[in-house]
Amino acid sequence: MAATQHTLRTAATIARMEWRLEWRQGHQLAAVGLFAVASVYVAFQASDQRTSASAWTAMLWLVHLFSGFTAIGRLFDRERSQVRRYLQWTAAPLGLMLGKLFHAVITTTALTGIVLGAFVLFLGWPVGIESPGKPGLLILGAWLGGLSMTTTLVFVSAVASQVRGGSGALGAVLGLPLLIPQLILATRLSRGALGDEPWTMLVEYPLFLGALGAGTATIACILFPYIWRE
Amino acid sequence: MKGGWNWIWKGSSIALLAYVILRGFSTPLQPGLVSATPSQLTLEEHTLTLLAVGQPFARENAQASDFELVLRSGDQLLATVLTDVQPHAATAKVRIPSTLPSRALDAFLFTPDAGTLFLGNACFVEDAAKGDIPTEFRAQAPAEAAPKLGFSFPYQPNIMESIRNLLWHVPMWFAMFFIMGLGFVASLAQLRTDSVKWDLRAEAAVRTGVIFGLLGLTTGSLWARWTWGAWWVSDPQLNGALVTVLLYSGYLILRAALGEDDRVGRLAAVYNVFAFVMLVILLMVLPRYTESLHPGKDGNPGFNSYDLDNSLRAVFYPAVIGWGALCYWMYTLRLRMNRIAYSLLSR
Repeated sequence: MAATQHTLRTAATIARMEWRLEWRQGHQLAAVGLFAVASVYVAFQASDQRTSASAWTAMLWLVHLFSGFTAIGRLFDRERSQVRRYLQWTAAPLGLMLGKLFHAVITTTALTGIVLGAFVLFLGWPVGIESPGKPGLLILGAWLGGLSMTTTLVFVSAVASQVRGGSGALGAVLGLPLLIPQLILATRLSRGALGDEPWTMLVEYPLFLGALGAGTATIACILFPYIWRE
Repeated sequence: MKGGWNWIWKGSSIALLAYVILRGFSTPLQPGLVSATPSQLTLEEHTLTLLAVGQPFARENAQASDFELVLRSGDQLLATVLTDVQPHAATAKVRIPSTLPSRALDAFLFTPDAGTLFLGNACFVEDAAKGDIPTEFRAQAPAEAAPKLGFSFPYQPNIMESIRNLLWHVPMWFAMFFIMGLGFVASLAQLRTDSVKWDLRAEAAVRTGVIFGLLGLTTGSLWARWTWGAWWVSDPQLNGALVTVLLYSGYLILRAALGEDDRVGRLAAVYNVFAFVMLVILLMVLPRYTESLHPGKDGNPGFNSYDLDNSLRAVFYPAVIGWGALCYWMYTLRLRMNRIAYSLLSR
């Protein structure tokens, strides 16, 4: 009981600390936002003026994927330094992981908002390009797809951050193949949400995405203590 | 005798694989119809030619009267008159009535020695009205003769001679599952004991498994080119297979990146456990819930029960054991290399 409380308190503290640091060092948050918006602008310039629904989803997920990498890939960077020593003595590993996951979920939610907003601003609202779509399902899919990518990325960046003298490239190399299933599900869901199918045909995709996200988060929580132990 | 058992199982695996290769390539394929020309028919008399592959279904100089060709439309049979029968072809005259229950015609070729050959949707009649076949056009179903083909592989439309790939592609994936499962267990033991001997095992298993995964992808790609017409298609089973191989390549990259770090065993084990869980999700769970061209979605991931008959089983099961044993043998070799390298480096 005391251990659980300690874990939960650690989680809350870590999440709060992450947020404060993000706000104080505003440049990192701004960097992610800038990356997302600039990528959308590149997509806008590259796509001519008329964007088809499938091109819209393809670009949405490319931008979402790489923004996710820049946002989550550096999640454990601070733990490369002496901070790691300190946290190893004071924090419960599971609590640390939960705090990081919580922080990643908040970041991804904000990122989904930024990416979708930028897409609508530059490339137009896709619903109605080819058929009356399902905007609610599109937004839900973007969010859930982002979340299920994020939980995997948290795990991968936790592993990659253990490599001494490693760079962010290793996280990308390890992470990309792991994200293909999530991306396949998410792009199918988005295409379906922009198409004619009734939403009952698509309901399995959000369920799968949610299950994948929850599953990878659980495995990450179970395995993290082994990564963390010196 | 020291090492006697080793000689027995290694020798048996080579013997089994030799048997599989010889039997797999020398066994003839049962005859099957592949095409009917012309495939578009009009309401008149036609000369219909059916072509077959596999073993010959008729001897040279066979009598056409011993054979019978019947076309099926809906649930009614349309009579034809066979004029010529060759080892791999049959020619028949057929008159198309003006009314048919269905415009698609299935062909049944009754043979005295090779059983009944079937070709679904052999031809289409464009301008037939819907209705019963008039009685003078009807045929009675002839008596079916039991096939006398000897030991032969079953004919499957589209797959045809490439059914022999079943003895390579499927056992290679089985071997990959098996050795990755071994690696998973070794990694779990590594996390529990933090001992390097389990890490050496896990590394050897994954390295062998990646080789078999690549072989499975290659044989699968060849098969896809033949049956589906493309080297690669976007299909849940194929995506899962590719991601699995990439994932385990990531394991090897992670190890290489960690280098001499003393935590390499534990971190690699963590990644390996994660990778195996993803493998199960990707190859066993997800393909079952989405549409797939790949056979064996329901039940066994490798094949459907109706794809295997006894002749194929007689070669397929030895192939599974043979490839599995070869895979394990390769794993033991790699493990020995790992152990020697470790003892040299830590001296």
